[in-house]
Amino acid sequence: MICFNPRKKYGLLGMNQRNGWYTLIKNPRKLYPLVDDKLKTKQLLEANQLPSPELYFSINFNFELKFMREIKFLKEFVIKPARGAEGRGILVLVDKVGNKWKKAGGALLSMEDIEYHVSNVLAGLYSLGGLDDQAFIEYRVRSHVIFRPVAFQGVPDIRVIMYRGVPLMCMLRLPTKESDGRANLHQGAVGTGLDMLEGVTLGGVHHSLLIDKHPDTQMPIAGIRIPFWKNILETAVKTFDVFKLGYIGIDFVIDQILGPLILELNARPGLSIQLANREGLLPRLQIVDSFGPGIEELPWKKRLEISREMLHKVKG
Amino acid sequence: MNRKVYLFALLLTLIAAASISAKVFYGGHAVSQEYSRHLWRINITMRIKGKGSRAKVRLTLPKNTERQTIYNEHFENDEMVFYVRERPDTNRIGFWRSELLESSKTLQYTFSAQLKSLVYDLPQNLELVADPFKTFPVDFHRWLEPSEFIQSKDRSIKRHFKKVIGRERKTAVVIRKIFDFVRGEVHYKTERRSKDAKETLKKLVANCGGQARLFCALSRAAGIPSRLAGGIILTAGVKNITHVWVENYVGGRWIPFDVVNNHYALIPNHYLELYRGDYYLFKYVGLSKFEYFFLIDVENMPPVDNRWSLYALPIHFQAFAKVLLLIPVGAFVVAFFRSVVGVPTYGTFGPILLALAFQEISIGVGFFFLSAVVFTGWTLRKILDHLKILVIPRLAIILTMVVISVLVMMVVGSYFGQKNILYISLFPMIIITWTIERFSVTQIEDGTPVAFQTSLGTMAVAAAAYYVMRIHAVRIYLFAFPEILLMIMAVLLILGRYTGIRIFELWRFREFNRLKGKTSL
Repeated sequence: MICFNPRKKYGLLGMNQRNGWYTLIKNPRKLYPLVDDKLKTKQLLEANQLPSPELYFSINFNFELKFMREIKFLKEFVIKPARGAEGRGILVLVDKVGNKWKKAGGALLSMEDIEYHVSNVLAGLYSLGGLDDQAFIEYRVRSHVIFRPVAFQGVPDIRVIMYRGVPLMCMLRLPTKESDGRANLHQGAVGTGLDMLEGVTLGGVHHSLLIDKHPDTQMPIAGIRIPFWKNILETAVKTFDVFKLGYIGIDFVIDQILGPLILELNARPGLSIQLANREGLLPRLQIVDSFGPGIEELPWKKRLEISREMLHKVKG
Repeated sequence: MNRKVYLFALLLTLIAAASISAKVFYGGHAVSQEYSRHLWRINITMRIKGKGSRAKVRLTLPKNTERQTIYNEHFENDEMVFYVRERPDTNRIGFWRSELLESSKTLQYTFSAQLKSLVYDLPQNLELVADPFKTFPVDFHRWLEPSEFIQSKDRSIKRHFKKVIGRERKTAVVIRKIFDFVRGEVHYKTERRSKDAKETLKKLVANCGGQARLFCALSRAAGIPSRLAGGIILTAGVKNITHVWVENYVGGRWIPFDVVNNHYALIPNHYLELYRGDYYLFKYVGLSKFEYFFLIDVENMPPVDNRWSLYALPIHFQAFAKVLLLIPVGAFVVAFFRSVVGVPTYGTFGPILLALAFQEISIGVGFFFLSAVVFTGWTLRKILDHLKILVIPRLAIILTMVVISVLVMMVVGSYFGQKNILYISLFPMIIITWTIERFSVTQIEDGTPVAFQTSLGTMAVAAAAYYVMRIHAVRIYLFAFPEILLMIMAVLLILGRYTGIRIFELWRFREFNRLKGKTSL
């Protein structure tokens, strides 16, 4: 049942190796705040003409809570903590019913409830290490119709792992009932491997078990063609020119109206993507490294070519 | 990158090894070449129960002499007031006291002893002195005068003395005659209470105390300064019998004689001397019960005579240093479990602190309290969730409630006579309540199942650290050679570049194996 040397056999990248060889060495410490603080990420993305959900306003201090009354003009929006990790503390409001707002799950929240949530965010409840945090309110992304059969309530997102500016491996993350609409694998979302050449989904993984059907909708999850696939990869490669982190996960969502948007960046992307793709990361990492130094400096088109070449090598 | 790390680790190991070998070969850590050297580890345990009044226990503690070295002393005082009275020329005495003692207590004194056997030559030409009180200095008069149980001026003693010694004046011969007389005439029999010298002479049946007193009385009658010495005959195992022998001052030194075991002017290497003079090993007031036993085992570390080592610290600081030394050991265990096995824990320091807390209260009690605290915190959080309170005040409330429930447990325990619940000291309590904060934060951040998993992981790692810390050899060698910490650092450096798969990851990625046969990969 258990293989004792999965690294050699499948090229499996373990937590220790990811930390020791890739994130620790390729990601300079001083660049982490750009990624860990979603507000900063968003500002940087906007400044570089990279697509992301529009920021309405942010709440930085407790006394600014009174600005929350602005939301009464909003019908649907998302409240996020700037430094929340793993999708924690994100409140998605999909509709306004009288004086209350409807959550993605259907529950109604009053102004008071929302203010309480924001003050919890400011107190650092959801932030890494419990530090004081900021909250921001942004455009609610509406999921592309193609994902309707395989997404439960939330918005599926596409994670692209970039190594030295080259797209390395991708996965589509589908929210489930268990994950409460969030697209985080730790919380019970489904991860689906992607054929990066075509942008077509392969099989999935749910809680470290391989699956073929979505656990809630029972629809097959393989064979979905991701819209705007070329566009997504191009944006990912261009994003590297802004955030010079060598080993990074970029999360995209596909909005019905606006198309692909960068939701957030993650400097410590998870390892379950390997299960979703049924493939270890190590061979791909080694192929990218075999292109020698200076890959980071190449123009984005060149790096996309390297990615394609790498995929052909892995397959062949 | 890795080569630098390995080099640095190697360097640390070499420094540690050099320092240890320097200590072993030149630094007083040397194992002495004495042939008849013996190392023992002795534990004296006293179980006492108070009468509800003031209680006091005294125990004479062994001293360093030319033939015995006492080291690695450790006291467990069970929260009684403890102090050691040390004055030159008297016994070293440890006192335990409590102003109001009602419950049972266990006092422990553990130490190591290096003992030598010694054989003395009695000067053959020395004669008895005519007027001992003038010849010997004032300090020696107490060893010449009769005392309560050593009635050297008693008529029957004097009569027997004349009969045994006659006109002999040579000290060596006189002592031999007294020795043979006591050995030949008095039969050995174990008794509840030792007889005094007179009684022994009348009944001619006595235990070691009676025989020693008679020998001592006859020696004093002859004008030889003589005193009792008491201690334990060491044999591995549990015992509660003490032994008494005599020391006579001949030719400028105290020479031991043990009539019962026929040791004439020699002392074997398993005799541990605890006191001198006609004393009791234990004395106590205000107790309704007093039990004691000796637990004797073999020691494998020789004493260290190095001013620049931890042994030079005063004894209670040594205990503190020992605890400090355990922290890196615990950290090593935690690092191993986290990065090689992959067990989730509350930080790195959490399991270490818990393991240290378990050292003070037993691991069973620790687990009970920890589970109780986590459970209280969990239920409370469920209730508080409805009230919509800010995070930090909410945590403070949970902490307060945990403290209240611990206090309630203590009061209830005390009401039902379970007083041992009261003896949990502050430090373990604080650490255990601290886990509730980590529990709540994890619960908020990652959900309840993860919080329970992490709690379990923390407990398991803490238990592992606890058992590693309890290994006797670990404590002893770390204390003798703190350089081992450098070696631990070297191993941690290598662990810091360990990039292998964690054991828990084998389980997480187990599904990879199902794909082995498939071609879609």
